[in-house]
Amino acid sequence: MIIDFTTAAYLSIAFWASGSMLSIAAKSSPALKKTAGALNLGGSLIMIAFIAIYWHALERPPLRTLGETRLWYAALIPLVGLLVEYRWKISWLKYYCMGLAAFFLTINLLHPEVFDKALMPALQSPWFIPHVVVYLVGYVLLAASSVAAWHNIFLSWRIKEEKSYDALSHYLALLGFVFLTFGLVFGALWAKDAWGNYWSWDPKETWAFIAWLIYLGYLHAVSHKINRLKLQWYLALAFIVLLVSWFGVNYLPTAANSVHTYQQS
Amino acid sequence: MKADRRKLFQKPWEFREAALIALTLNAVGFALQYASGGSGVTMPEWPMNAITLTLSACLILAVGLGYRNNRAVAWMGGIPLGLSLILTLAALSFIGGMVPQESGGNPTAVRLGLHSIFSSWPFALTVVIFLINLGLSLSWKLVPFSIKNLQFILFHAGFWIALSCGIFGSSDLQRLVVPVEEGQANSQGYIIKSREAKQLPFSVFLHDFSIEEYPPQLLLYDPKTDRLVMNSAQAIPEVCTGATAEWKGTKVVVTDFIASALPGKDGIPVPVDPAAGVPFAKIRITSYEGEGETWLSTGSPMLKPAAVNVNGFFLFMVAGSPKSFRSAVTLRDENGFEKIANLEVNKPVNFKGWKIYQMGYDEQSGKFSTLSLIEAIRDPWLPAVYLGFFMILAANALFFWNGIKKSGASS
Ligand code: HEM
Repeated sequence: MIIDFTTAAYLSIAFWASGSMLSIAAKSSPALKKTAGALNLGGSLIMIAFIAIYWHALERPPLRTLGETRLWYAALIPLVGLLVEYRWKISWLKYYCMGLAAFFLTINLLHPEVFDKALMPALQSPWFIPHVVVYLVGYVLLAASSVAAWHNIFLSWRIKEEKSYDALSHYLALLGFVFLTFGLVFGALWAKDAWGNYWSWDPKETWAFIAWLIYLGYLHAVSHKINRLKLQWYLALAFIVLLVSWFGVNYLPTAANSVHTYQQS
Repeated sequence: MKADRRKLFQKPWEFREAALIALTLNAVGFALQYASGGSGVTMPEWPMNAITLTLSACLILAVGLGYRNNRAVAWMGGIPLGLSLILTLAALSFIGGMVPQESGGNPTAVRLGLHSIFSSWPFALTVVIFLINLGLSLSWKLVPFSIKNLQFILFHAGFWIALSCGIFGSSDLQRLVVPVEEGQANSQGYIIKSREAKQLPFSVFLHDFSIEEYPPQLLLYDPKTDRLVMNSAQAIPEVCTGATAEWKGTKVVVTDFIASALPGKDGIPVPVDPAAGVPFAKIRITSYEGEGETWLSTGSPMLKPAAVNVNGFFLFMVAGSPKSFRSAVTLRDENGFEKIANLEVNKPVNFKGWKIYQMGYDEQSGKFSTLSLIEAIRDPWLPAVYLGFFMILAANALFFWNGIKKSGASS
């Protein structure tokens, strides 16, 4: 491989760290703003380039193992933070996002995975990429939504004023839910082709369904005008359920019966 | 919240009543489940399921439209109950996600249906009330119709259809495994769980079953720690001519590779037809003990694999995992109508209302298997469930669009 993972990961983390420091410095000297933005973006671009090279070397999309999907989160989550800053001029989200991405890369650095090209026949399907990528994007948006909700809770606790970013956590959750739904339905359509049932209450499916219901509950709570702080708590904690559905399933007593947990190595 | 604290069941009903109803419902459900000895709910079959479902749908619509100003009906179709049921469903699914869904286990848990939660009474009761709640709310958005409600209607109606048809239709699902040997035909399938044999309305003739494997891999095994030794790149090297691999102190070069061969005289393998042979590789090993060259093979059910001892470690070649497997078959119905098809994982073939799947093969024989396991599935309710799915997706596309538009306006 042209670049190995360790180099790429350290480079990305270094870009995000220096970009974050420059972003903070840019508050007093705006001339630094462009450089800071370029460094923040650069961190994700390195990861995207690494994913492309890795994809090429594996001769299959790197979406099969948990470690491989963490590469995508690491590349995409900071982009959500940067997009939110660009679109709504909210700058704090990107720091959390880059922190989360660095955390994912650190996990991969500490637990290197076996480089394995094999892709079992059930995964060789035109549904593989849309299903997983849609879920990835959903998880990324909902992770950002949870971060925004924690930030809102923190604000209302520290500063006893109503100024907060409820709309941000709300829209991120809304979009995240849409992607989750697409992922769920794509998964069902794929399951029908791969093993004959669109739904079999497999632990992974069950947990995806629970997570989906939890966010569905959020949407209904919103339309019923529930106290805003309660909703922020709801969004902040809902992400824990999503985490279980994403990788916690592998550690549950039910995992042994699952036909489609991510492969662990 | 505190100032206008209502008494429980004081009108109008709200979340607390809804939560209480949901809890009661589940208490009743678990009691029924326990009393019935844990046997759970059995769905009526065609045509009773279709009749029940259609009548219920009409009844829900009629009540929703006829009594839309009635407080109790309004509450039955309202968000407080809906939200409570969504969370109840999540809680029941949580049991299903934590407790292994299989036979056996603690007798009390089995009797309460914890090991078969998705066919248990509490789950069934929750789904029924859920469908009523969803159906009532839908009736009010359907009549009078307004394009403004399209997204709501598509989503909720799609969900109603997918959920109800998925559950009511599950009793009409037929799923049969059909084992076929190369050169033979079979029209008997059996049900996996009960092993009960069933006659199919068509036969499957297997011309050929074939497996394609990934390239074999080299492994270095440490008998002292009972572990594989990993190289610095964390990669398990693939075998092809010219491939190299290196573990601490041991360097390996593949100088020759034959994808399919059998041992010849004086130990030199002879290439043979892919269906008969196994992979052989000539390996040059360089370590601090010196240099040597030897043939390795993956072995097969008929042939012992060869491994070499390198400074107390064992160097193996293992067959690659299956990349794809397929069955060339002819499907033939009772009137002599024939269809030639290639069955492969992820590529089922439709025949006479059945979907035919490549399921498996004799894994002990691996790529030498002449047995193919084919699965025939009939699910007459599938089009209805898919209609529901596509309505949900359409609603979602609208939702996405509206979400983006609204967020654009908010800035
Ligand atoms: C999964 C099962 C669902 C059930 C049982 C359900 C049930 C309900 C009920 C009973 C209402 C109240 C209707 C009314 O006030 O007229 C409602 C409203 C609503 N639902 Fe759902 N719903 C479900 C799924 C969804 C989903 C997935 C979405 C999001 C796309 C959604 C979006 C809404 C919205 C936005 C409202 C408020 C409509 C309004 O403002 O009147 N629902 N739902």
